[in-house]
Amino acid sequence: MKEEFRFEDREEFIKKLEEVLASGVAPEKVNAVYPHPDHHIEEIFEKYVPKSKLKFFTLLGGLSGTIGGFALTILTVLHWPMITGGKPLISIPAFIVIAFEMTILFGALASLTGFVLLSRVPNFKRILYPEDYGNEFVLQIEREDP
Amino acid sequence: MKHKEVDTAKPMTVREKIDYQNEIEERVLGAMRKPTPLYWVGLGISLLMVLIGAISWTHQIRIGMGVAGINNPVGWGVYITDFVFWVGIAHSGTLISAILFLFRAKFRSRFNRSAEAMTVFAVLTAGLFPLIHLGRVWFAYWLFPYPNQRLLWVNFRSPLIWDVFAVSTYLTVSAIFFYVGMIPDLAIVRRFKKGFAKRIYSVLSLGWTGTFKEWQHYNQLYKYLAALATPLVISVHSVVSWDFAMSVIPGWHTTIFAPYFVAGAIFSGCAMVITLVVPMRKMFKLEKIITVDDFDKLAQILLFTSLIVGYAYIVEYTIAFWSGNVFEESQFIYRVVGEYKWFYYLMFFCNVILPLTLFSNRLRRNISYLFIVSIFVNIGMWFERFNIIVMSLAHDFDPYAWGFYMPSLVEFGITLGSFGWFFTWFLIFAKTLPIISITELKEEVA
Repeated sequence: MKEEFRFEDREEFIKKLEEVLASGVAPEKVNAVYPHPDHHIEEIFEKYVPKSKLKFFTLLGGLSGTIGGFALTILTVLHWPMITGGKPLISIPAFIVIAFEMTILFGALASLTGFVLLSRVPNFKRILYPEDYGNEFVLQIEREDP
Repeated sequence: MKHKEVDTAKPMTVREKIDYQNEIEERVLGAMRKPTPLYWVGLGISLLMVLIGAISWTHQIRIGMGVAGINNPVGWGVYITDFVFWVGIAHSGTLISAILFLFRAKFRSRFNRSAEAMTVFAVLTAGLFPLIHLGRVWFAYWLFPYPNQRLLWVNFRSPLIWDVFAVSTYLTVSAIFFYVGMIPDLAIVRRFKKGFAKRIYSVLSLGWTGTFKEWQHYNQLYKYLAALATPLVISVHSVVSWDFAMSVIPGWHTTIFAPYFVAGAIFSGCAMVITLVVPMRKMFKLEKIITVDDFDKLAQILLFTSLIVGYAYIVEYTIAFWSGNVFEESQFIYRVVGEYKWFYYLMFFCNVILPLTLFSNRLRRNISYLFIVSIFVNIGMWFERFNIIVMSLAHDFDPYAWGFYMPSLVEFGITLGSFGWFFTWFLIFAKTLPIISITELKEEVA
């Protein structure tokens, strides 16, 4: 059974949300839908649920980009050692530029992947049957059938 | 329909908030209605310019690079000028969307969507120029490191390869940033559309509903993308500047180039945002949302970056004359007295003198005046790149190797085509996607 509360007023919604979460309902059974990013609502939720793990994706992506960038440049020059412009084969300052760009690229791609995995988008069910609440704040609670 | 003035500084009642939010939706989505004849005329002109560019490029591919004016000693001409110009235009998109986001500057939400779109389309335009400049464009993939039969790899010590990495990373990251920022808005568009269009926007919005789980990770993603884009934007134009600064040509070989180019990029990009948003605001009647105050703040950034650019011009001269290097000195004397001196004066006027008028409060808040200044800045910044590239090459070490360069008709055609290509993309964007971030405006009043 699904209980649903709809609010036009953000303050009323927040009050109800706090009440429901404090009453001991399992937080994963509570779903909130709101029309714009709202840090206050997130803060309330995050008292009960863990914070987003997206940062680990960004970190791992960035690190793999740095390592990958240096690996790509260093291993390829060693694979076919050819001196150009009298510079050392492994020219770290030049390779930093490549590694830096790859850090950013991999970091951004990994963050996007993290978002896709954590938020469960694209949500195929909702693509076929979209749910729109306009500017309303909605609170849905799944209660176990008695 | 009559609209009340809404003062977002005062706390609103629930009713007022909802009315305001509905009004934003209506206004922004109103821009996506059936295009007016004026729009079709604009699109027609842009497409005609693209056609001219396409014909010119085809001609160049068929006949060869000889049809372009570039030759010894000026081997880099208008194509590289256009490349640097368009990469520069792209930069303020990221400044407005990422850097101002990290600084929590509120006025950004009025401009960020169009600025991000501008970034993506400008990089798309810039990316064409290395290909055009290549001559044998069908070998363009040689620029990328890939395992090939002869086991050869690109030269990672070359600034031109850094550029390949910087620009392709920039295109990818700014496209992701643009799209991700739009997902909640696409869900709003979906609500107002019917039939097949609704299907398309449903797919584009990835089935976004606005649940806590979606918002929580979304906000994190947006924050990290902004944090990654900020150093990226600085690195990209630094790398572009090193295409020049890593060489030994007098006028190019200076350490000031990276910050000088980054400031110039943000300067020209801000000007382009003003050039694009002023007509857009008028055409789509967005005066209530994008106010004179918002333009005032953008004009302050324009003024500030203009001062940095002006400072860099002076420092360039100071360094040249204190260096004791005759080639360096000669180059900078040449800039003000040589064949191209009028281009130099034009650049100096557009980029340094004219923006100084923005110190006046009254002029800064005059939208028509701001629009005119922004067009002059665009022209001035194009000539800045032309001056740096062409003048340095035309007048380097050996007087016997000096030369003179003027772009050919083909180069003019391709440059015109690049503007058409950019405006075509932008016009299509203005009618198919929400031009202002609706959710962020809603967040402000919440």
